[in-house]
Amino acid sequence: MPPDQPTGYLIVSAVLFTIGVMGVLTRRNPLIQFMSIELMLNAVNLSFITFAHYLDSVDGWIFTFLVLTVAAAEVVVGLAIIVSIFRSRHNIDVDELNSMKG
Amino acid sequence: MHITGTTIAFLVLAVTATFSGLGVILFRNAVYSALSLILNLFSLALFFLVLNSLFLAVVQVLIYTGAIMVLFLFVVTMLAPDPSDTTEQRDPIRWQKGAAAGLGVILAGGVSYLLFITTLSPAAKASAEDSLSRMIDKVGSIQAFGLALFHGFLFPFEVTSVLLVVGLIGALVLGRRASRD
Repeated sequence: MPPDQPTGYLIVSAVLFTIGVMGVLTRRNPLIQFMSIELMLNAVNLSFITFAHYLDSVDGWIFTFLVLTVAAAEVVVGLAIIVSIFRSRHNIDVDELNSMKG
Repeated sequence: MHITGTTIAFLVLAVTATFSGLGVILFRNAVYSALSLILNLFSLALFFLVLNSLFLAVVQVLIYTGAIMVLFLFVVTMLAPDPSDTTEQRDPIRWQKGAAAGLGVILAGGVSYLLFITTLSPAAKASAEDSLSRMIDKVGSIQAFGLALFHGFLFPFEVTSVLLVVGLIGALVLGRRASRD
């Protein structure tokens, strides 16, 4: 399995991505939804690295690096939004966040 | 099947990654979820090591398990819900979790099946001239990464710096206390 074909790594990646999707769709705490998004991004990173290794090409590494930077920026802005929502409403249930205006 | 060190490492890491991933979405307490996510990201860093990408494994530990998860834990503990909060207990859509589990198994199973019946075509590999293994042999892993980043991907790299500045300014604007006007 691992030595000549990427199947095993890609299956792990697919399973992690599915777990992330389930987390975003079923949990109501936006922090956990955020963590699930991170899980999905990392699952994709794993398949990028797998393909970089098995196709013997550096492109997968570069993509992973860019995904890391985008994830960092996304987390900073997302957590700032969650904190400011918490400040104005004192609860963070995504089901109750149905208006764009505070 | 021939059992090698790589196979054992793969199996251990795959089990760790899957169960810590499940932990992220199943724990009720958000702090446990965050700790479980740290374990997950760390096992992915080890996956990167198994796949010969030293630099990205180190970056994964530094940025993800270091910086991003510290930020997460900070916000999780700052917004600690009071124990009487029953947000997650009451469930407006009762069949939701079961349906999610069933559909998730179908999705992961389908993708895994497709991955099982296909094989990687040798023609898809990079040509010997600019192959990664050749570059690693010639100049080393980190140098190969840097050469690719600053020669082939200079423009995306610069756009990334703009993105980071936008993220920084966005966090500043959102984090400011709203003026009372």
